[in-house]
Amino acid sequence: MIAVRGLSKEFDGVKALRSVDLEVARGEAFGLIGPNGAGKTTLIRILTGQTPPSSGEVLFDGEEIDPLQPGYRLRIGLVPQEPAFYGRLTARENLALLARLYGIDRQSASGRVEWLLSWAGLEEHADRQARHYSRGMQQRLSLAMGLVHRPDIIYLDEPTSGLDPEARVSLWGLIDLLAGEGRSIFLTTHDMEEADRICDRLAILVEGSVRERGTPQHIKGLLGADRVEMRLPAGSEGELEAVCGRLGLSWRREGEIVTVTGPELPDKLPEIVSTLAGRVSDLHYREVTLEDAFLRFMRGVD
Amino acid sequence: MRGMAALIIKDWRLIIRNRLLLVVLVIYPFLIMGVIGAAFGDAGRPVPIALVNMDGADTGEAAWTGIETDEAQGLQRRFRRRGGSVREYEGMEEAMAAMAVGEVNVLLASADTDGTAAWLGAELSRDEIDAIEQDLRGEADAWHEFSTAEEAAASLEEGRSDVLFAVWEEDYPYIAETIWLEGENHDASALVQRFGRDVTEIREYASERLARDDLKRGRVDAVIVLPRGFVHALKTLDEVAVLNVIIDQSNLVKAEFAETSIRGFTSRIKDGVVRNKTEAVVAGLYVLVSGGDFFGTEVTGLEQIRENLLDLKEATGDRPDMQGKVDVGIELAETVIADIEDAAAYLRGTALPIELEVSSVAGRVLSAKDAVVPSLIALSILWTGVLCGAILMVIEDEEGMRVRLGLTEMGAFSLVGSKLLLATAVVFAQSAVMLALAVAVFGVFASNALLALVIIAAASFSCIGIGLVIAAFARQVAGAVVLSVLVSFPLIFMTGAVFPLSQMPGFMQWIARAIPLTYAIEALSGVMLRGEALADVAWQTGALLAFGAGLLALGSFLVRRRSV
Ligand SMILES: Nc1ncnc2c1ncn2[C@@H]1O[C@H](COP(=O)(O)OP(=O)(O)OP(=O)(O)O)[C@@H](O)[C@H]1O
Ligand SMILES: [Mg+2]
Repeated sequence: MIAVRGLSKEFDGVKALRSVDLEVARGEAFGLIGPNGAGKTTLIRILTGQTPPSSGEVLFDGEEIDPLQPGYRLRIGLVPQEPAFYGRLTARENLALLARLYGIDRQSASGRVEWLLSWAGLEEHADRQARHYSRGMQQRLSLAMGLVHRPDIIYLDEPTSGLDPEARVSLWGLIDLLAGEGRSIFLTTHDMEEADRICDRLAILVEGSVRERGTPQHIKGLLGADRVEMRLPAGSEGELEAVCGRLGLSWRREGEIVTVTGPELPDKLPEIVSTLAGRVSDLHYREVTLEDAFLRFMRGVD
Repeated sequence: MRGMAALIIKDWRLIIRNRLLLVVLVIYPFLIMGVIGAAFGDAGRPVPIALVNMDGADTGEAAWTGIETDEAQGLQRRFRRRGGSVREYEGMEEAMAAMAVGEVNVLLASADTDGTAAWLGAELSRDEIDAIEQDLRGEADAWHEFSTAEEAAASLEEGRSDVLFAVWEEDYPYIAETIWLEGENHDASALVQRFGRDVTEIREYASERLARDDLKRGRVDAVIVLPRGFVHALKTLDEVAVLNVIIDQSNLVKAEFAETSIRGFTSRIKDGVVRNKTEAVVAGLYVLVSGGDFFGTEVTGLEQIRENLLDLKEATGDRPDMQGKVDVGIELAETVIADIEDAAAYLRGTALPIELEVSSVAGRVLSAKDAVVPSLIALSILWTGVLCGAILMVIEDEEGMRVRLGLTEMGAFSLVGSKLLLATAVVFAQSAVMLALAVAVFGVFASNALLALVIIAAASFSCIGIGLVIAAFARQVAGAVVLSVLVSFPLIFMTGAVFPLSQMPGFMQWIARAIPLTYAIEALSGVMLRGEALADVAWQTGALLAFGAGLLALGSFLVRRRSV
């Protein structure tokens, strides 16, 4: 649905994005993970037409577009990183205003507003000024405001940063609902749990360039995925080599400790243990998290 | 322009739900107006002026008292305490001289142990003098009154009195010289009271020092001292009659008012004196023609002389040698009579003073209150216009809504347009209410209020335009407010709002010409105070519209450019 090719952005000498290539399919939840200052917001700003790229192109449904053109603008929704609503308007007034500005006629607008209020769980507070809301409610309002005009793709810039765990889960619930409706989601985060839970595909952005991309599984797998550590006295290397070779695993030794890694490790573990029966002790299964992967990629360690 | 109505409603809600904005944008200008209204509500009231009449003030006398007491030192100490700024004198002579010129009005002398006397003097009010007298009586063993200073001095010297006390008693009513003016006889003080009564509120003071003290305390705006011989000088014109005027120049406006009103009534006095004198001279000249008392000398009139000569000519008809001489005399008399009549007519003409009949171009005499309202309204347009333009726009940034709005379907100029419309409405409504209040409640004069509204609208565009330009340089409401104040403040001083434009140096006038507020003030005071029509202020209104268009275009360009 959206694709960017060779996208770069430079702010007076600061290279915020370096030749980024990405693709988001229709109905897909795409996650862009990266540390502070990686360029996530900059990319969203380019994709939502707030700032032009220094070079590169943005394709929408296969056609090169100017993100400012109305046809595109009306099909995207945005939940900016900083809260964006009028604090002294109520949730209902905020939503109704946007509905008017999106040119939705009065009647359907009020229906749409009521629907969004109940969808976001804000009906009870719909007539209170938004500045009095909790952070979680504010973020749900912000999300609802990005959806007033039923966009095909919604850009969420760190939607859960600063929320408590409960509010976070409740927001995730709403994002899941969106994904279920077949909207594309473009989400940035530095919360790996969030990326793992919501996204179908991920890209890791570090210092403006994409370090890696793929499904969460794939990304985790790249780290050598899960691994088993065990104490194995010297002298069994021949047998270890043989069984690993057969199962498509790799191993390495550091002193007494042998580490085995490779795909589908849990299924293959019993065979290794039985082959080396009696000689193995202190066996630990270490599951790799996205967090590990992220930290590795951030440091540039492959 | 799509969505403009919704945006305007939204902004209006943001204003009325924000107490600070409500006060700053809507209420504040009214508060200012109330304050200024209260300050000028009393404008046109007479200038309070202190009058010290020294003309004939030497016709006073000291009343001397001597007391016997053993508390002489204590009384002296108490006198020093009560007397305020007490002066010390070397001896009786110096003390009495000081009293004669009005430096002090009370003296207290007490014999010192070494035989010399300490002389103290003070300027006291009647009540204070009474209090001191009470005090003295309380401590007195015996009480003597003296009819002369010499008696008193002798009493102190010879030890019959321990303390001497002298109070200056003016001989009221003293027989000062008077002058006949406008059907009445006036002494110096009455002259000032009579001619100054329309524009000033005269308060008489016993001495210059007391009057100066009240001038310093702001109880009067000026002090007039009528020097000795003032009326005499005025009557004889032997010397210039000098009026000493002391003005508090720390407040220029006050000083200006005081000086103008004093000049006004003194010139009327002068006119009256000149007219009287001229009339006297004219009357004297007619006496030369018709005969009578010519300034104390009985004269035979020229007409009589001519008659006599005619008789003589008839009587000497038989003496042709005499006829020629008599004819010369008759001709001379006739010429002199004609010349005197010409001279008298000429003097009469010059005796007529110039009268200023003051009336206003608006057909009504204006007060300071009237004059301040156009500037006040212009300032409120500036204040509200700039702040409204800036704040309403910056709120979008502060709330993070610029981006969101940018993604909607709203028209390209809806955002700027909605701000402009709402701000114009606020400014306009505010100024209109202010104008109505000024006229209805404060009784301010506005010769053409409807036209003033047109100018208010025209002026609001420029101010809102300035606000938009400011909005392009601020991201938060607080920053926008600070910038607005920083920008508005010098603008206020560089226009005619505070100082008259004509009094500014040339380059400042050029700067003032580059500020839209200048034109707003000119046009508003034109239509409100000078009764001007649209055609008269067309140039200023045009300038306001041009500035408005330019600033709004610049503002919306900067604001829109910054959003990218
Ligand atoms: N308008 C700008 N002018 C100059 N530099 C900018 C601008 N916007 C972003 N940058 C720089 O570009 C880089 C990327 O910033 P960006 O905000 O896109 O990071 P981010 O990944 O969103 O970070 P965060 O997790 O903190 O939101 C940073 O180094 C930032 O300082
Ligand atoms: Mg960011």
